[in-house]
Amino acid sequence: MLWLYLHFPHLLLDHLRRSRESENALVVVQGAGHQIIQACPVAQEQGVRAGMRLKTAISLSPELQIARADQQQEARILEDQARWLYRYAAYIVPVPPDGLLAEIGSLQKLYGGLSAVWQTVEQGLDERQLNAWVAIGHTPLAARLIARSGRGECTSDAGHIQRTLSQISLLAAGFDDKTCRRLERLGLNTLGEVFNLPPKELAKRLSPEVLARIQTIQGARPDPQTPWQPPHRFHQQADFAQDIEQSQGLLFPLQRMLQELEDDLCWRQQDTDSLLLILQHRHQEPTRLRVRTSGPEHRAEAFLKLIQIRFEQSPLRAPVMAVILSVKRFIGREVSSGQDLLGNTQDLNEAWHNLISRLQARLGSKSLTQLSPQADHRPERAWSASDIALRKHRRLPGEFAQLPRRPLWLLKGPQPITEAPATWLSGPERISGGWWDGQRVHRDYYIAQLNSGQLAWVFHDARDGWFVHGWFG
Amino acid sequence: MSEILNTLMQDARIWQGHRHNQTTQPAEPTGYQVLDNQLGGIGWPRGALSECLLDAHGIGELHLLLPLVKRLSCQNRTVFWLNPPHTPYAPALAREGVNLDQVVMVHTDNQGDFLWTLENCLRSPATGLVMAWPGKLMSRDIRRLQLAAEAGSNVCVLFRERRFADQNSPAALRLDLEPDQDQNLNVSIIKRRGSWPGQHCSLTMTHRADLSFSEAPRVVQGPWPASGR
Repeated sequence: MLWLYLHFPHLLLDHLRRSRESENALVVVQGAGHQIIQACPVAQEQGVRAGMRLKTAISLSPELQIARADQQQEARILEDQARWLYRYAAYIVPVPPDGLLAEIGSLQKLYGGLSAVWQTVEQGLDERQLNAWVAIGHTPLAARLIARSGRGECTSDAGHIQRTLSQISLLAAGFDDKTCRRLERLGLNTLGEVFNLPPKELAKRLSPEVLARIQTIQGARPDPQTPWQPPHRFHQQADFAQDIEQSQGLLFPLQRMLQELEDDLCWRQQDTDSLLLILQHRHQEPTRLRVRTSGPEHRAEAFLKLIQIRFEQSPLRAPVMAVILSVKRFIGREVSSGQDLLGNTQDLNEAWHNLISRLQARLGSKSLTQLSPQADHRPERAWSASDIALRKHRRLPGEFAQLPRRPLWLLKGPQPITEAPATWLSGPERISGGWWDGQRVHRDYYIAQLNSGQLAWVFHDARDGWFVHGWFG
Repeated sequence: MSEILNTLMQDARIWQGHRHNQTTQPAEPTGYQVLDNQLGGIGWPRGALSECLLDAHGIGELHLLLPLVKRLSCQNRTVFWLNPPHTPYAPALAREGVNLDQVVMVHTDNQGDFLWTLENCLRSPATGLVMAWPGKLMSRDIRRLQLAAEAGSNVCVLFRERRFADQNSPAALRLDLEPDQDQNLNVSIIKRRGSWPGQHCSLTMTHRADLSFSEAPRVVQGPWPASGR
């Protein structure tokens, strides 16, 4: 087996840098002493180094932007990267806090050689604007050690890898301080020198744990890894070093996130019809925006347009410190079927979905309704309005030809008649029902023409008198 | 004559009063032969606004459009009803053969949303017909809607009050609707693109309540106590 290890030396910094437009210096600080642990190239140019105190750094670079290291956040970012790497390799193991391990021995054939795998990964890293040190080893631990030392090369030659390993210093090899000191006193400085010792002596003189580690590096002892499975959802967060106050400013990071969503959906061969956008504020409850499309969609551009409309409708309540984009509902992509000879059905369908989504985004999904007849004798219950669903099955028109003659306009509630109708045309038709649910109706309906020329559907209620219930429009 | 001028003439965008030629503007037949004849044999213009001016609902204004609604909805083109004054009654529409899956009601709260919605509906190729009940429209707004309608080549019918008949409007077709005492609908053409207005016709609308007879009303018993039976 051959393992590929990606070590992200400053993952948090990369993550923050790619969701912002400004080019100011940025550092990540840690602990109560505000020690700088990661500094971006701009900051480094101004003389800021890792290990400096924050005060010193600020005096070097007054416009420094500061982000605080957060373990949970780092773990989440690492998971993002795992999900991305999962597109290329099936067997991957995240190694918190800053590494990813992938089995690539089985991929060589698929990609056509080791160098092709290497290139694919490097290219992906480049596209995602991430810095990573990549290395290959025959055991997971060997790959990890080489990657962390930054000496990774694209080769599967065992001798070469062994030589690289041998040059790694003991401190970098991850032994604890006590062991390091003891080995140093023995005159051993690199891993290679320890490899040369007889195993039995090593166990006797030092400790069985040291031997175990050496054997794990060399592959003489099994080092089982549990493969990681991607969750069945899309979740991405962009954190901002500086709070964003205008919704326009959110569009830039959102564009990248939606593009990643599109890639993810393309890769899954799935679509979605609802996005959840969570805007986190510093002192307030997060704003939750649910963006729905009327049909399955995967294009970043279409989502961005809908989000833009939503932002225009409701300005930000408070400055935003982070945006989370989450998708839980996935729809299998349909093979485009039902296309006619001219091939324009698909376009029309798409145009329809686009239009409905736009209207829903601006007016709210409650403002658009579709009507359908219901089986009830009472006129006010013989119809219902529902949200727009996907284009569903069509009922046969013949089904409704048996319905009695009714006006095209139904009033929202019966209106009392103010004048005597000019002509009575037909009636009465008795409609009585509703005793089963307490909404009792007992009316005689007539068709009459009013003096204004309107043709009305008039009823006489046994108790309340005369009302207009509809117009024959 | 240059090509541009030729097109302008043919589309009836430049109107020559002394000539009365058949224009080539795209249109949808109304389904009423009498009215089609009055409209120069074409019908509802596509890619332009039409206005129906009426004072009261229930005079047959929906039945005027029903043949078109029926045809378009069965061709899977969407029919939008924008801010209708009452509830369109689903069983009655279904009975007339309208495909309700293609009928979409839209309600907007303010004028800005109304115009935005109407414009978007008009520009979309998925739309077949937009029926809209605007309250008050500025001349400028109508002009903008007219441009949107031209972009989408859909039929758009605005239902407005008759007092707006005097207000000038860029709509391509303006009809004045008035009921008479025999349940018919009198249509007079206030304006139409490419020809003289002023035609009148009377459409029989008795079928909208199944009153296809002219004999004495068949009310069994005069129900109105004060009507002096």
